[in-house]
Amino acid sequence: MKRIYLDNAATTPTDPEVVKAMLPYFSVNFGNPSSLHTFGQEAKRAIEEERDRIASFIGASPEEIVFTSGGTESDNLALKGVALAGRGRGDHIITTVVEHHAVLETCHYLEKEGFRVTYLAVDDLGIVDPESVKKAITDKTILISVMHANNEIGSIQPIGEIGAIAAERGIPLHTDAVQTFGHLPISVDELNVSLLSASAHKLYGPKGVGILYIRKGTKIKPIMHGGEQERGRRASTHNVPGIVGLGKAVELAAQSLQEEREGLSRLRDKFIHGVLSRIEQTGLNGHPVQRLPNNVSVCVSYIEGEAMILRLDMMGIACSSGSACSSSSLEPSHVLTAIGLPHEAAHGALRFSLGRYTTEEDIDAVLEILPGIVEKLRSISPLYKKNGER
Amino acid sequence: MSKKVLVAMSGGVDSSVAAYLLKEQGEEVTGLTMCLGSEGGGAARCCGADAIADARRVCEKLQISHFVFDYAREFEDKVIGKYVTEYGRGRTPNPCVDCNRYLKFGTLLAQAEALGFDYLATGHYAQIVREEGFFLKRPRDRVKDQTYFLYALAPAALEKILFPLASLTKDEVRAIAGKAGLPVAEKRESQDLCFVDKHNHADFMARRIPGSKPGPIVDRQGKQLGTHRGIAHYTIGKRSGLGIAHPVPLYVLSLDAAANRVVVGEKGALKARGLVAEDVHRLVEDWPPEVSAKIRYRRKAAPCDVVFAQGKITTLFKEEEEAITPGQAVVYYHGDYVLGGGTIAAVL
Repeated sequence: MKRIYLDNAATTPTDPEVVKAMLPYFSVNFGNPSSLHTFGQEAKRAIEEERDRIASFIGASPEEIVFTSGGTESDNLALKGVALAGRGRGDHIITTVVEHHAVLETCHYLEKEGFRVTYLAVDDLGIVDPESVKKAITDKTILISVMHANNEIGSIQPIGEIGAIAAERGIPLHTDAVQTFGHLPISVDELNVSLLSASAHKLYGPKGVGILYIRKGTKIKPIMHGGEQERGRRASTHNVPGIVGLGKAVELAAQSLQEEREGLSRLRDKFIHGVLSRIEQTGLNGHPVQRLPNNVSVCVSYIEGEAMILRLDMMGIACSSGSACSSSSLEPSHVLTAIGLPHEAAHGALRFSLGRYTTEEDIDAVLEILPGIVEKLRSISPLYKKNGER
Repeated sequence: MSKKVLVAMSGGVDSSVAAYLLKEQGEEVTGLTMCLGSEGGGAARCCGADAIADARRVCEKLQISHFVFDYAREFEDKVIGKYVTEYGRGRTPNPCVDCNRYLKFGTLLAQAEALGFDYLATGHYAQIVREEGFFLKRPRDRVKDQTYFLYALAPAALEKILFPLASLTKDEVRAIAGKAGLPVAEKRESQDLCFVDKHNHADFMARRIPGSKPGPIVDRQGKQLGTHRGIAHYTIGKRSGLGIAHPVPLYVLSLDAAANRVVVGEKGALKARGLVAEDVHRLVEDWPPEVSAKIRYRRKAAPCDVVFAQGKITTLFKEEEEAITPGQAVVYYHGDYVLGGGTIAAVL
């Protein structure tokens, strides 16, 4: 059975070239970059080279890049670090209801620590209105955090506009760019952001490594204490192979980004159109155009999302659901709820996320298989009525 | 050729061992937990968040995939809704029977078939045998025997169901779980209703039956002895909590929903010779003459005579039975074979 992987938003396969680049750093070049001897200095040179590359990839300076263990740590460092540093000036944070849990749960934690958080709503396409950000700002606001693109429904936020508003008021804007880094062109100046989180394993790099971009002049406190690594902003011995892998992944992304973006967008639109036209009572979640090139999020009414995933998995096709009954909270996804999907529709949500290795044949195969699965499962659903039936 | 088996996993030790045994036999096993939602106020249901997490841990240990299907709405419609309505009518319903009938071996079984599984398995203590047809039988562990809750399955469903614990005792199941290192081996047995714990039952009923109001507690002659809190709070055969001082202990004899009365009397008055069952299900078409009937889960099956008429079964026991309770299931056996059952509608 040919296996088709359509869950690239969860994680991507590590590119063989990335693996190849990393390997020497497990063996011959095993040094600790903090050491003064040649072993250490070779490793140091390697990570600084990657820091340069990553910085120029997003239009930043090398000293504005901090290596972390991934997207979640970057979000934690951005929010807690800036909140703690800004405590004297204010206690108010603005974010949105559709953020990743790495941001939402950190905000909940900060609320327990005495900060106030405003969670902005989104429209039914999942987009935040920059005006609502403007209105939410108070003279106590010390941080705004809005994700670049949503991991579940793919909607891309107007970060540039929000950034301009934030800059005007002198408030740092953080964006979680885990889903866009390496997939969309990113310039920290055009986005007007002070902080940006990214993770390697979403762009064909290894797991366990990421970055936080911190604009020069942004006041931030460390959340990891220990050695002097990363100019005191993040203690811990460098993950040298991981950083080298991330650098290689960025190098590959820089070469192919534009072409990949166009190719994936075309496949994405074919996929979306195929699902909506072949299966009745389906809908697209998220914005149709202002959307990640690889995200197909649809809801199929009257079916259990996990039942579809199970059947697709049995046929070798990997995707994910929009419901979160599975993730041990019993409620459907907070994102699908935020865009106004009723409980039942949210439970029938599916997310397919395409990637570098997705082919047109893969999409055709899924479009061939999915309608039959839906029909079969609907035939046993007590709630389902065909269009036109009463 | 290995079979594709979907195992309904509640996160408890029984269904975990069921999955483990099937995996050991070399079947292609997939775990599934039914998400039944949660009662407002956070009372956990058996298949709540913790149960889902436990089931997931077991599946990780067994290296099988685990899925969760949302049954919250159906559970509300087919199980809780009926439970509440029946209580309001002065009956004492049996929600486990309905959950098995409509959810586990109704919708879930249909889903399993639609998804391409050969079998649905559960951790029930029951047995299915293939002789000149498929029969439901009592399992080896007579104490845990759960056939009482399974009489309402469709006969055709028996061909698609596996009960891997059929020939094991609870102690053996625990030992297997321990030996296999299943993370739920030490888990406490669930006894109460899964959707409301016994300490909150009164609140739950008060919330669900807003019309429930106090009324008289009377003896069999109609003389008022006290005041009840709403008939939904009482069960036939119940002794405590009446709040009446009386020379001999009093028991609830019947619940008169129409007059909003609770009728009480001495223990001896709880005895009755028979019952009428409705909503009858037959797992076996032709019943042999020797039949025994079980009127509660924890009651021995008692010999009886049965007469079928107009879709009901009139049942006369050889010896009087105590506290026959409308709303409860009556299940008929021939030796170890389950013949079928129904809902007790009237006491004779």
